[in-house]
Amino acid sequence: MKQASIIVLLIGLFTFPAFAQDSISPERKQAIDSLAMEKIRDLEKYISIIGSKETPASEAHRVIERATELFMEDSEMGVSSLGSDKINYYPVREYFQRLMALNYDKVSISWFNIQYISDLEQMPDGKWVGVITVYQRFEGTTKEGLKYKDTTKKDITVYVERKQTQIGGRTIGFWDVLLGDIRVAETKK
Amino acid sequence: MRKPFILLIFLVTGPFLRAQVIGDLLEDESVLYAETKQVNQFFHRFNSEEDGKGNRIYKGDPAFRDSHLRKQALPMIFDRESSSLDKSIKNQFIKDVTNKNEPVFLDFHGGDWFAEVIIDVSFNGSIKEAHLYLKLQEEEVGSKWVITRVYFEPFARLFFKDPSAIDKFLHPMSHELDFMNLAKVFRKESQVEYYTYDNFVPDFLSIFIYEMKINNLKFNGVKKVNFHFFQVDGYYFKLEEFNRPGFNNGWLITQLKEVDQESKNRLIGTIYYEEN
Repeated sequence: MKQASIIVLLIGLFTFPAFAQDSISPERKQAIDSLAMEKIRDLEKYISIIGSKETPASEAHRVIERATELFMEDSEMGVSSLGSDKINYYPVREYFQRLMALNYDKVSISWFNIQYISDLEQMPDGKWVGVITVYQRFEGTTKEGLKYKDTTKKDITVYVERKQTQIGGRTIGFWDVLLGDIRVAETKK
Repeated sequence: MRKPFILLIFLVTGPFLRAQVIGDLLEDESVLYAETKQVNQFFHRFNSEEDGKGNRIYKGDPAFRDSHLRKQALPMIFDRESSSLDKSIKNQFIKDVTNKNEPVFLDFHGGDWFAEVIIDVSFNGSIKEAHLYLKLQEEEVGSKWVITRVYFEPFARLFFKDPSAIDKFLHPMSHELDFMNLAKVFRKESQVEYYTYDNFVPDFLSIFIYEMKINNLKFNGVKKVNFHFFQVDGYYFKLEEFNRPGFNNGWLITQLKEVDQESKNRLIGTIYYEEN
């Protein structure tokens, strides 16, 4: 997956105009958005697998590792629900582990085919940051047949960094995308 | 504007979709499209810098900052359920910002707007609310949000609460006695602030940080975020986030006021709870 991402970015390097560190052209932004959305789609897929009761525990643990690799170190999920003012903060790994351990007999997680991708803003350390908003529908059924349903809005931080790598003795620049903190809010839909 | 657009899509594709699917999508996805999902999107909707699907419209595109589109989109980013929005001020505001000769656009890095973040804290064993004020600070490279001030009621109630402070001063010959009368001042520690210079304003931000450092104050979580905008000359508006059913949702303008310099200063004082 990482290899594919690098190839996409390298293609982008030769397709788009020269890059200036203090601004990102619309074409470059679109290429970065695509890469970021690729990570988001991976995350969505991993969350669906981790949450599914049909996923064997060993496989779920393996997927938790893959999902955690999408994130910057120390990334957290801030989770709020409609019934409470309280926000619970979980390290991403713990969030995935809790998702895996949810006490339902059957779980269905699906994603709305809608997302909002913000502008990228430069940070004082030179990296760039943006936020992608996606919506998830969750349905859990207990052994007794009781159903719990919710729709959550997920605002996902995306960090974008210009990096360099050596390929065949040549220094090639590429964009690296990592996910950061996520605000998870239950919606009144 | 969004609803008719989505309805049009369904009219075209309708025969191929089951009624249940249409129902679900109308109730869910169209609502999600309509929602102003991020403050970033609010800026773009305000300026007409994105299309109906939320895709960016860049400079050079005929729709970029199009006055006609803005006139249609702007009413959608107001809270329709707010009772404090005056319809005539709102109409005049839309007319002013879409004026063809001198249109006004919001600028993320343009200053004159700030965030008010209401947080829950534990202070001396009880849960309290604190208001943090943050502004976007431009750096040599990039930018960052910085805390500019704090309002915390338990601090506010400690200062200048004595209505008759006329007798509270250190007389002008105190120096001849090595300021021995300071003993009396500090004996009544609740009134020390009356012995400070003119226009002294207690710095709640420093106190707040100090109380955190000595573990008297603990952050619990963010409760609510508001944004206050003074970027449009002659106006103030407040931006709040709504999480409710329907199409008028997300980040919306809940207050809009006409302001001159004097009323602007007064309003900022109110936002900062300076009158308390």
